[in-house]
Amino acid sequence: MIKTIKASKSEKILFIFLIVLAISAFSSFFLLKSKCLFIDSNDLKKLNFKNPDNIAVMNLECGNVIIELYPEISPKAVKRFKILIEKKMYDGSAFYKVVENTLVQAGDIEFGNIKYLDYSKIGSGKSGLGLLKSELSDDFEFTEGSVGFARSTEFDSEDSEFFITLKNIPIYQGEYTPIGKVKFGLDILKKIKTGNKAIYVLRPDYINTFRMLKTN
Amino acid sequence: MKIIILFILIFQFSHVNADEIYNLIKIPNLEIYKLKNENNIRYLNTKGNFKIGVDDNITCNKTNQENLNTKFPTIERNIKRYNSKFLKKINLKYVVFCEGLFISNINTGGIPNNKNRTLILDINFNEKYFERMIHHEIFHMIQNSYEDDFNDQKFSLFNNSDFEYAECSTCSDRLNLDLYENTNGFLTEYSKSIPSEDMAEIFSFLMVNKNLIEEKIKNDSILNNKVNFIKLNISKIDENIL
Repeated sequence: MIKTIKASKSEKILFIFLIVLAISAFSSFFLLKSKCLFIDSNDLKKLNFKNPDNIAVMNLECGNVIIELYPEISPKAVKRFKILIEKKMYDGSAFYKVVENTLVQAGDIEFGNIKYLDYSKIGSGKSGLGLLKSELSDDFEFTEGSVGFARSTEFDSEDSEFFITLKNIPIYQGEYTPIGKVKFGLDILKKIKTGNKAIYVLRPDYINTFRMLKTN
Repeated sequence: MKIIILFILIFQFSHVNADEIYNLIKIPNLEIYKLKNENNIRYLNTKGNFKIGVDDNITCNKTNQENLNTKFPTIERNIKRYNSKFLKKINLKYVVFCEGLFISNINTGGIPNNKNRTLILDINFNEKYFERMIHHEIFHMIQNSYEDDFNDQKFSLFNNSDFEYAECSTCSDRLNLDLYENTNGFLTEYSKSIPSEDMAEIFSFLMVNKNLIEEKIKNDSILNNKVNFIKLNISKIDENIL
């Protein structure tokens, strides 16, 4: 006859602890994996645009970010932006500078591609297309979802890096060259991995593809 | 080596709140006071003490809001006299307010910085000279932008040959800012410190009390030449300032 052995009190506590640990490990793994849950991926087939020539589609892990470009405000900057998109130079570009709920920045062609990230030089890379003159507008307001060309501390140093604001930043008005505004997908941008409190993001999120709508 | 650089870069902590302003003008702990102005100037307030410059040699403290609100109309009235084109030419876009401004432990009314397009103002500077101080500091920005026109050596030639300026503005005891009764080529004691301060004193008096200076130069040929020099060169930049 087999005797049933009752678990001691400490064994029960240990068993419960292991179950709780397993649940929390599983749920945190699940939550981490599902950062795109409940985010609209912006299916292009369901969207219509008045001016499709100036619509750019940036595909990220959680879906498409749709950007309307403003060539009437910054003709040279938008022309450069379109060239970089058409040459697929932004594909794989890392969001290496991400300030939570403030802005995301990508577009270092030389040192900021996910395939060959160089943290010692990131932010200083060139596209090979030369520097642009700043096209500043005292009327363009950098509200949530504004896209602007990044520059060094000097004006007329724009090249390929761009940023997207995640909140209103009025002080940027007249300071940075505007490129356009996000029409759809701001919630996708808010899911981009931040560097916590560090300046640069380790193992950053990146742009899968960046295309003009017409060539998509 | 790369690992060390990476480590340094990753752990440079940033302060999100004042980050956007810091990125632009390299002064921490600032907030917007008044952004939209006719001449595109932007007024920023200090919400926490700051130290900047080489070895943190420039220090200033946060403002008392009530104190700033009281003094702001005076500051705004004076800075409104410069139009946006002129301000752009002299690289002035941001005016930063703080209290107790020191550079290398010497109290000062304002610090201009053309590179960052910024003028820091101590709102607690002596009330008697406060308005004039604003224009005095703005002149330094003008001179920094137009060095050839406001050349120190050329300007010094207006003085009597036996006169010598000091080595630097803070290494002399010529610091009094009161207007001389008998000018003899100089408006104040501080004018005698160095040529650029002499020019800044003339410009500031022309901005706040032009009629009085016009009277003074009638009997002072040296001062008359100096005033004409300033007027002529300012008019090359903008005819409507003086």
